[in-house]
Amino acid sequence: MHTFNRRQFLEKSALGFGGLAASTLMAQPKNKGKSVIFLFMHGGPSHLDTFDPKPLLKKLHGQPVPPSFGKADFQFTKVDKVPIMASPLEFKPRGQSGVPISSLFENLSRHADDLAVIRSCHHDGFTHVTGQNWMNTGWARVGRPSVGSWVVYGLGSESDNLPAYVVMLDGGIKAGAPAYGSGFLPASFQGTVLRTEGPPILNVNRPEGVSEKMQRETFDLLRFYNERHHSERAEDTELEARMNSYELAFKMQMAVPEVADLTKETTATRELYGLNDPLTSEFGSQCLMARRLVERGVRFVQLYSGGKKGSEVGWDAHNECDQNHTFMASKVDKPIAGLLADLKSRGLLDNTVLLWGGDFGRTPFTDGAEGGGGSRNGRDHNPYGFSVWMAGGGIKGGKIIGATDDIGLRATEDKVTMHDLHATLLGLLGVDHKKLTFQFQGRDFRLTDVGGDNNLTARLTAG
Amino acid sequence: MRQWCWYFIVTVAAAQPVEERARRILDANCASCHGAAKMGGLDLRTRESALAKGSIVPGKAAESRLIAAVERQGTLRMPPGKNGLERADVATLRNWIDAGAKWTAASNAEPNWWSFKKLKRPPGASIDEFVDGKLREKGLAPNGMADRRTLIRRAYLDLHGLPPAPAEIAAFVEDASPDAWPKLIDKLLASPRYGERWGRHWLDVVRYADTGGFETDIYFPNAWRYRDYVIKAFNEDKPFERFVREQIAGDELYPDDLDLDGGFKVAPSKLANLDARIATGLYTIGPVYHEAALFGGQVRYEWLTDAADTTGEAFLGLTFGCARCHNHKFDPITQRDYHSMMAIFAGSEEREIPVIPQFNIFGFKSGYPNWLRVEELKTAIQKIDSAARQRVVNKVRALFPAAVLEAHAVAVEKRTPAQRELAARLEKAFTEAGLEENAQGKDADIPLTPEESKRRNELIVELGKAALKANPVMQTATVLGHAATVPSIHITHRGDWRSKGEQVPPAFPAALQAKPIDEIANAKLARRAALANWLTEPDHPLAARVYVNRIWHWHFGRGIVATPNDFGRQGEEPTHPELLDWLASDFLANGGSTKRLHKVILLSAAYRRASTHSAANARVDAGNLFLWRANRLRMDAETLRDSVLTASGALNTKMGGRPVVPVLGREEYITMWARNQWPEAMDPAEHDRRSVYLYVKRSFPLPMLTTFDAPDTSVSCARREATTVAPQALTLMNGDFMVRQSGRFAERLRAEEPGNPRAQIVRAWQIALGRAPREPEIEKALAAPSLEKLCLVLLNMNEFLYVD
Repeated sequence: MHTFNRRQFLEKSALGFGGLAASTLMAQPKNKGKSVIFLFMHGGPSHLDTFDPKPLLKKLHGQPVPPSFGKADFQFTKVDKVPIMASPLEFKPRGQSGVPISSLFENLSRHADDLAVIRSCHHDGFTHVTGQNWMNTGWARVGRPSVGSWVVYGLGSESDNLPAYVVMLDGGIKAGAPAYGSGFLPASFQGTVLRTEGPPILNVNRPEGVSEKMQRETFDLLRFYNERHHSERAEDTELEARMNSYELAFKMQMAVPEVADLTKETTATRELYGLNDPLTSEFGSQCLMARRLVERGVRFVQLYSGGKKGSEVGWDAHNECDQNHTFMASKVDKPIAGLLADLKSRGLLDNTVLLWGGDFGRTPFTDGAEGGGGSRNGRDHNPYGFSVWMAGGGIKGGKIIGATDDIGLRATEDKVTMHDLHATLLGLLGVDHKKLTFQFQGRDFRLTDVGGDNNLTARLTAG
Repeated sequence: MRQWCWYFIVTVAAAQPVEERARRILDANCASCHGAAKMGGLDLRTRESALAKGSIVPGKAAESRLIAAVERQGTLRMPPGKNGLERADVATLRNWIDAGAKWTAASNAEPNWWSFKKLKRPPGASIDEFVDGKLREKGLAPNGMADRRTLIRRAYLDLHGLPPAPAEIAAFVEDASPDAWPKLIDKLLASPRYGERWGRHWLDVVRYADTGGFETDIYFPNAWRYRDYVIKAFNEDKPFERFVREQIAGDELYPDDLDLDGGFKVAPSKLANLDARIATGLYTIGPVYHEAALFGGQVRYEWLTDAADTTGEAFLGLTFGCARCHNHKFDPITQRDYHSMMAIFAGSEEREIPVIPQFNIFGFKSGYPNWLRVEELKTAIQKIDSAARQRVVNKVRALFPAAVLEAHAVAVEKRTPAQRELAARLEKAFTEAGLEENAQGKDADIPLTPEESKRRNELIVELGKAALKANPVMQTATVLGHAATVPSIHITHRGDWRSKGEQVPPAFPAALQAKPIDEIANAKLARRAALANWLTEPDHPLAARVYVNRIWHWHFGRGIVATPNDFGRQGEEPTHPELLDWLASDFLANGGSTKRLHKVILLSAAYRRASTHSAANARVDAGNLFLWRANRLRMDAETLRDSVLTASGALNTKMGGRPVVPVLGREEYITMWARNQWPEAMDPAEHDRRSVYLYVKRSFPLPMLTTFDAPDTSVSCARREATTVAPQALTLMNGDFMVRQSGRFAERLRAEEPGNPRAQIVRAWQIALGRAPREPEIEKALAAPSLEKLCLVLLNMNEFLYVD
């Protein structure tokens, strides 16, 4: 019987793929993170209506943008043609720490003391695809490996019967499969999509009349022939990835139905995630599944809220931002709060890093192309300053990092690039982002390219 | 890789020349004051005016006032305001000035992007001349040629999407003649299997589907005619020029009264023109948002944007969908260009035209009373059902007090909360009595009296008989024609169809510097013809380059331009620019023959190389951009399914016709919205047809094909992914289709080599892998759990799925 465990995996990684060795990566072994749950709000949530209150907007509401805030390119909006729009939502200081969170997230607010809100994120991708690529791969264009792929490449899998990197989509995403693809890393590091309707993975059950023993023999026979074939093509990591995908598939036949069976959870747990309410049950099921996955050693789980489904727009609030965000937040607030509470009560929060964010933030003025607009209370995409939050993985919460200018247009203080954010994520997992490299086309590539100097790991984990 | 030291400018912008970035920075930050307004006397719109006041001293950033101002060193601090320029932007300006402040003419003077320049034939005699030149330049030593066995498998899977039969392999391997390879290529290109494979490639580009997508997913009854047109066009080697002209403007360029004369026979000349019209079906198979039909204008607007997007991507290789909403940030395609492209299609609309001769149209009409009989029988059955239904309704109503009935009688929107509650009780009782049809399409369940039941069954039999004689639909094709009026096209506000900006005339993108087409603005019935004529000009900068690059991409797995739908500034630049131009020119000079192009490519050494690895080469060119080896490619979804059917011996090579609705695995039905939207083919042989003929339902792509990266059909797909994930293994090991085919494969082996397990194994290897098994492989195979399982294993092997 062939098995393929984490140690062998790392050995193979070390031998086969660009000189990676686990021991050299563990520069910060005191950090506790083992798994990541990345909550992606597809379409781009407004920082100004969620985590970055701007009182000045109330004063300037309806007025033109003061020229002192400068110009910037937006997808649709010319800055000097549109009025400032204040958030109609109420912000309150939350928890002991007093981190302000808007009324969109009343449930999440109860965990304010666990959150580190980073208000100074920025990149330059003002369309969805570039924004999603920046956030997911640290690069605007298609082709770089996604964060999850880098993490799995660096740390391997703790589970030998589930994919190390799982993605759950809410419809589809604008950036498509490359957003969870492995880019130039070997194909085995790409994300596996779990379906959110019907069986999570098709054909996970053995055909009728085939015993487990017979199935094992069949898989072993295949491995025998594939190994012979591969021995003459040893450099081809795709062939190897495909062989390994069969080992994983074999074990998934047992593990996937088990992990996907949410009925095993208690009523209290199911209610904690909002499974009893049609509004929250969809995202709630995904959050609960995420916990079950990390509990079983899955390294990286990414969940999407607001994918493209028919004519739905997700968080992309070009019109009636308030209504849009109220609806979208009502679907995720309780499930995310439930996830935090559940991870904590099970002692999993310390080694699970949560990251919440989206394509970008949104503009402090109304959305509008040349010649008008702005009448429909929407906000345009804003990559120049936006918020994300992180929790778990040893983070001492109740923190705010960085700031945007007084209207929330641009990050100004303690600016955090996507490379910085990714360096921090890796840091929380105990990985030195400068050492996690892969040689491709004659150059050592990093998730963080040549950036990541504003690595927040130490500050987030400090008391 | 010029700018690695500044991480913050290694963004999208890094791919652009420094001049362009610098000028964008000036445009964005300075031009509003130092442009037409010339504040402080400075005009940064031209090089001369920028140099005039010493603002820019070419080669000397340190001495340039502009740099002093943006670095905010002295009293002059620009741009005004607290923040100033980003450090990265300042660095860009410095680099640009130090490099001489190159200032090429504005983009509307002469196209300065490689793909916008007119096509010219560079000197050269063969593909290998160009490829070998690059290899030498990079210090790469190419692999030797692949062996015969590898070559024939490569050629079959490439040109037919099917593996070669063992006898074909043997014949080719033993053919000692020097022209064995060209003969094989000719043979493959002459087979109808070729058009099915390469037609499928083109169908990716034109986002082919049989339904409109979204929730209701309307059915396109005639989409298949366009699919068959494409397959036929490849099989007949339709000249490129004609292929483009027919699809864009077949109706305008090849007019025909469609008076298909000749009684029972249709004159072939007439059919040629009918083909040309069916080709325009390309514009009738895009995504349709059913609900948009509530606003006629929205449907038309969505249709025009799909036409502009698809034309831009498929024929121009320009992804200009973004320009629907705003000026393209990186390509000089403007919102105006986009709407001008829409204007070319304004006034065109879908038509259903008969595809049978007049004689048969009369025949159809003479038989129409048969259909009326069907309608009469349906009405009679419905009458029985509705009487029975009324009885149930009355019975249910009798159970409720008057207050409930009164509340229910009030119009829904006028009910008070109390009335709503009362009415809901009655509605619930109706549902429980089985009066509603459910979402899965299950009929209401209403009890009939014995007499009703008897009468109804008789009528059903009558209905069946009548239906057999009746023909409700005349055979038609869905094509483009012209509306009675041509609507004007206006630039929209952020893609919102309701808004109405400036009116734009039909025109080609300005940056491509086509001749203006004002003559067609008047001749409204020839706008698409003008587009087709322009695209097929012999020196058109994009059309042939884009097409030839697609063919190259499908052969090699990577285009000379790696982004076949994006020849603009966001796309990749060509690895072999001269080769691309040479191929495109040579292609056009030889009548735009796609089959000849295939042959030119397949005869090259670049195509025939072994796929073996070389560590030395990989250090320089791991991605094999310069073709020192053949790329090992995984079969695409359709090739995989068709190859499995070939191995099992079940492949049904019937061509054309209505899409085949295949059976699905049990689990696969779960996510289907309405089961009655999946009318499976009743003839089992239909389920074994080539994948190109399977039903392409936008809201429910076939799971097996999707798992192996079949494209999303909402927009043009130039390049498929080839992912490797565990669900693929589960599909191939456990899926109903694979289990069934491996069973048939085993049956076939038992029939061909009865009672001889060893011979069965040898035969199995030859069928699936095109070679004889080696002794240890046979030993192992003899110990397999069963012949069926061995067959399943063969169809799962990397050696089966990958083409060396």
